[in-house]
Amino acid sequence: MPIWIGVDVGGTFTDLVGFDDATGQVRIHKTPTTPSDPARAIVGGIEQIVTSLGADGHPIEEIAHGTTVGTNALIQRKGGRVALITTDGFRDLLEIGFQNRFYVYDFHRDMPPPLVPRRHRFELKERVTTGGVVVTPLSKGEIVRTLAVLPATEIDSFAVCLLFSYVNSDHERAIGEALRARFPNKHVSLSSEVQPEFREYQRFSTTVLNAFLQSVMSGYLTSLKDGIDRKYPGARLSISHSSGGLMSADVARRFPVRTALSGPAAGVTGALEVARGSNRSEAITFDMGGTSTDVAMIQGFTVAHSYGSSIGGYPVRLPMVDVNTVGAGGGSIAWFDRDDLLKVGPRSAGAVPGPACYGLGGSEATVTDANLVLQRLSPHGLLGGAMQLNAAAARKSIQPIADRLEMAPELAALGIIDIVVSNMVRAIRAVSVERGYDPRDFTLLPFGGGGPLHARAVAAELGMKEILVPSHPGILCAAGLMSAGLSENFVRTTHASLDDHGLRAIARTVQLLVDAADRWFDIERIDLPKRRYESFLDLAYQGQSFEISIPLSSSESRHPCLPSLKELRSLFMVSHERAYGYSSPDDPIVITNCRLRALGLRLEGPFRMQSGPANNTVTIPSERMVWFDRSGPQPTPVLTRDTLATGAFLSGPAVIEQFDSTVLMFPGDRATVDDDRNLIIKISA
Amino acid sequence: MTVHKQPPDAITLEVIHNGLRSIADETFIALKKSAYSTNIKERDDHSTCLMDRRGRIVVQAERAQAIHLSSMSGHVRAVLAAFGVESLREGDIFISNDPYVAGGSHLPDVNFAMPVFVNGRLTAFSCNIAHHADIGGMTPGSMSADMTEIYQEGLRIPVVRLFREGRLVSDVLDLVLLNVRMPEERKGDYLAQVAACRLGERRFRELAARYSSDNIEMTFDEIIERTGRRMRRLIRMLPPGQYSFEDVMDSDGHGARDIKVKVAVTIQGDSISFDFAGTSRQVKGNINVPFADTCSMVGLALKGLLDPTTPNNQGVIDLVDVRAEPGTLVRPNFPAAVAFRTHTCQRIVDVILGALAPAMPEAVIAAGNGANTTAIFSGTDPRDGHRYLFLETLAGGCGARSFKDGKDGVQLYAANSANMAIEVFENSFPIRIERYEFVPDSGGAGQYRGGLALRRIYRTVAGDCLFVGSADRFTNVPWGLFGGGPGAAGRYVITDTNGTETTLDAKPAPVLVKEGEVIVVQSPGAGGYGDPNERNRKQLARDLQSGKYSGEFIERHYRRSIDELRAIQIDGMLDFEETLPHWRST
Repeated sequence: MPIWIGVDVGGTFTDLVGFDDATGQVRIHKTPTTPSDPARAIVGGIEQIVTSLGADGHPIEEIAHGTTVGTNALIQRKGGRVALITTDGFRDLLEIGFQNRFYVYDFHRDMPPPLVPRRHRFELKERVTTGGVVVTPLSKGEIVRTLAVLPATEIDSFAVCLLFSYVNSDHERAIGEALRARFPNKHVSLSSEVQPEFREYQRFSTTVLNAFLQSVMSGYLTSLKDGIDRKYPGARLSISHSSGGLMSADVARRFPVRTALSGPAAGVTGALEVARGSNRSEAITFDMGGTSTDVAMIQGFTVAHSYGSSIGGYPVRLPMVDVNTVGAGGGSIAWFDRDDLLKVGPRSAGAVPGPACYGLGGSEATVTDANLVLQRLSPHGLLGGAMQLNAAAARKSIQPIADRLEMAPELAALGIIDIVVSNMVRAIRAVSVERGYDPRDFTLLPFGGGGPLHARAVAAELGMKEILVPSHPGILCAAGLMSAGLSENFVRTTHASLDDHGLRAIARTVQLLVDAADRWFDIERIDLPKRRYESFLDLAYQGQSFEISIPLSSSESRHPCLPSLKELRSLFMVSHERAYGYSSPDDPIVITNCRLRALGLRLEGPFRMQSGPANNTVTIPSERMVWFDRSGPQPTPVLTRDTLATGAFLSGPAVIEQFDSTVLMFPGDRATVDDDRNLIIKISA
Repeated sequence: MTVHKQPPDAITLEVIHNGLRSIADETFIALKKSAYSTNIKERDDHSTCLMDRRGRIVVQAERAQAIHLSSMSGHVRAVLAAFGVESLREGDIFISNDPYVAGGSHLPDVNFAMPVFVNGRLTAFSCNIAHHADIGGMTPGSMSADMTEIYQEGLRIPVVRLFREGRLVSDVLDLVLLNVRMPEERKGDYLAQVAACRLGERRFRELAARYSSDNIEMTFDEIIERTGRRMRRLIRMLPPGQYSFEDVMDSDGHGARDIKVKVAVTIQGDSISFDFAGTSRQVKGNINVPFADTCSMVGLALKGLLDPTTPNNQGVIDLVDVRAEPGTLVRPNFPAAVAFRTHTCQRIVDVILGALAPAMPEAVIAAGNGANTTAIFSGTDPRDGHRYLFLETLAGGCGARSFKDGKDGVQLYAANSANMAIEVFENSFPIRIERYEFVPDSGGAGQYRGGLALRRIYRTVAGDCLFVGSADRFTNVPWGLFGGGPGAAGRYVITDTNGTETTLDAKPAPVLVKEGEVIVVQSPGAGGYGDPNERNRKQLARDLQSGKYSGEFIERHYRRSIDELRAIQIDGMLDFEETLPHWRST
């Protein structure tokens, strides 16, 4: 029987989930990442999982893989050498960007340098304008002339970025063909292929990032595939992308930029499955890791997508799960600002040296050290004791802060937690207000190593009443990979007005997108019954420079049925009202983009993380003194998560320890364990 | 929660401070979301803040505009002066915009303030300011280069109640709306500002219920006090003395030329003062700067020089002692016109940098593009009869720093507008953008060179178009520091279909541009820093090989062999590094 694997490679740990389609059994595994050769930890982890499933010798159907190789290459600026080919008059566009500053008061801090130096940016004579009309044709001679001046030996990949190529890509394609013919061993990224949408700077920037990552990703995937093939020949490799789905390894090679923001997306996909299983339609996800915390909103069992973001200071225009990141995590460092106020983060001790209590050379006080001093984290260490924590080192790191504040180390530690919580609360408030929602109407869904430990304080501060802790909060990304489908996004910029004529044009465009999706389904060998088509229209009032994406239909039919003019207008106005507080019934509306998300289902049924029975070993809960507030430590029962069976009822205070995370319940909180073995905590008023 | 007699400890302070900042940020977003004007919605030309009961700013939203800081507190001071604390009631909301009687900025920026009461005691003000798309006056949009007195710039609003104890004073709103274009939309802007005030009030009361208003008021004092102390500690490290500098604005568009801006900065112990004595009298053209904005720019310069991460509150404002004679360019008397004050605001920062160069040689930067190079296009597209009006501003060079080059083509100080995408522009207007690029050789030479200017070239493709410009540093170029050379001037040029070029003034009269003609809008560059002979060969090679500088420029200013520089092999993929000065660790 074939085995399905989800594997998420993070900076510190490689998390794996294995699923036996025949028996419905699930196994999880966590192992240190092997940065020099990630395949080693991956293959080793798979072996462990297969053995624990009792499936040695069984074939692997698919390995769904989430990777930060692209993200890290971007952040560290360690990618390939790129040459840019662009329209005459616009070679500086990439460097000019939006022409503004991010730090208004800072005379010394600039936007980051473009990833292509000016001497490697080349102009050629051609020009297309609005409507795809060619103003200056591109001659063969011009292509030949340009190819001749390219410093090919200094270049790994080419980015071809021409104005208005989103509507007429003829010139880009002609250049692309010439480049591929002349330099068969180099990579080529065309802006009309990477993301054919209007607004040139975002498109060019995204295309350049893609070109920058092509050689890195290509090398990585080749060595990974080799490593897997040696042990599991025939296993399909799929890669996680930023909109929460998977893509084939071939697509990932062509469009590596799509992996750059995929980390948070997989976690949200996993969280969504948990919310569905526990029937919580409105939730705020809270993924707290070592350096940062990702927050996303689930509404009506769906996760909103956004289309614009930035990474390492560079704009990226791609469909992605709408996630906001705050620079606060377990490794965030406490420090005193020039006005003697205590601050926490955004600087982080990261994985290395890590918090002082890791004993890897870190000496500055971090959030994790504070949690250990308060005994919220176990003095016996993490990962079931596999990772030792040094309580004395934690205390030592807090001491200077306590001295400067003239208070006990425990009180200083509580202060560090209070401040990091207030930072996260501030971010969640901004995210929900921006989207027109009140956090009190949502359930908090914490995951990541640190989410369940801080969720109670965050929820209380926001006036939220309920917390849903997944059964395995520390490996939710790997679980999300398991439940994700193979997906691909298609887009066409239209600029049609919202009237009968415009709607007819849109219907034709949507059909073109469906045809494109079918070609992709064919390539990926996805059978007809497993094909899903979700279409969206981006609408805006004429003259506005931001759009609202309206979901139209999600269907198995390849002939999506468009709403009527009146319905579409009212859908837009309701969304506009929510997002911006008003709508104008009479103002003209334009449809700027048509989008289609093609989804290929993988597993036959829904994937549930928890399938085995609870560990029935009767254990006497231990107890330790835990600090909840300034009044002093309280004797607190310490429970083991996997002994909590469905239907169990708990009341706080309690610390619930599990392999991949620690859950904290405050005095007066009550919790139950649901059918999926998720923990539902009701906060005491 | 217990009431502390002592101010809260550093942890509680930080948590409350975070709560207050969260309120300012939330109101900022709420205002942006529900406003109508594109300036607010898309360019964030608005600010929100919380003030204490005396009208001192405690927190400003993270993304608030630098230029709004003093005006918001000026408004509340005017409210307190006009009405007195005892007449303020729960639910009142006060508005104003006038720079002469209400501490305002230019007229399109309308200030709102709502007193917040906790248990019957006035505790704070929830405030905001936003740039409305129109405030009446002689031209649509209330911004034009040819205004000569404030009456032409729009409706002047003294401090008045828009809400009295929670009820709309509709007479006031009716009066205001009758005077502005597209009143229905503008009404939406006013109501958005009301909603933001009220959200701030609600959130503040929630916070006060949690931490007690005593604690919060003590936190106000502590935050302001600590910010002041933090800045004073840095000032004390500067060499005492008097430092002065002067520069001149090109013109006001109404006959005045070489208009002087002069500052004398006095540092003594931990105090610092800025005296603008010697600055020109106010001018007829609309580049006069309301005093509140002058103070904001001084605050911006000082923060940028000493500590850009200092929180923005009254502690910064109170620290700076700004003196200027009434009736001058930087403190004009009624009825001076002020709509294009931004050009002069940029120059105020320049002269402060110039003055403090001997005192803080590492932190200062050379003169930047020093203007807010503006292009306004209007006309009718003959293809569909659609009327268009569009304003954009062009960034320019940033002055060279003591440890790295000036950034090329970037907005500075009081200006921070993004550009419009070409693929949106050509979709909306019958104008094609033919080039958008750096201007080679426009950054002054130096050990570290000045930032390059930008050039945007427009061609009208259907119908004639009316072009209105407003700029500066077309004749008085950005200066360098410590031996660095000057940056290039900006310019406006119209080229007709025969190729004949007409160069325009920095504040030109409106020009009718015929179909097929070309408009070149070019911003100024920026000055260099340090002796050009000290510039290293690698950087010169990069200047040359990138095409940012011509061989001729390099030979003239650096006296290096071009062939030698051409032969240097440049490696690395980045033209410059993201470096921060050595004296700043984070």
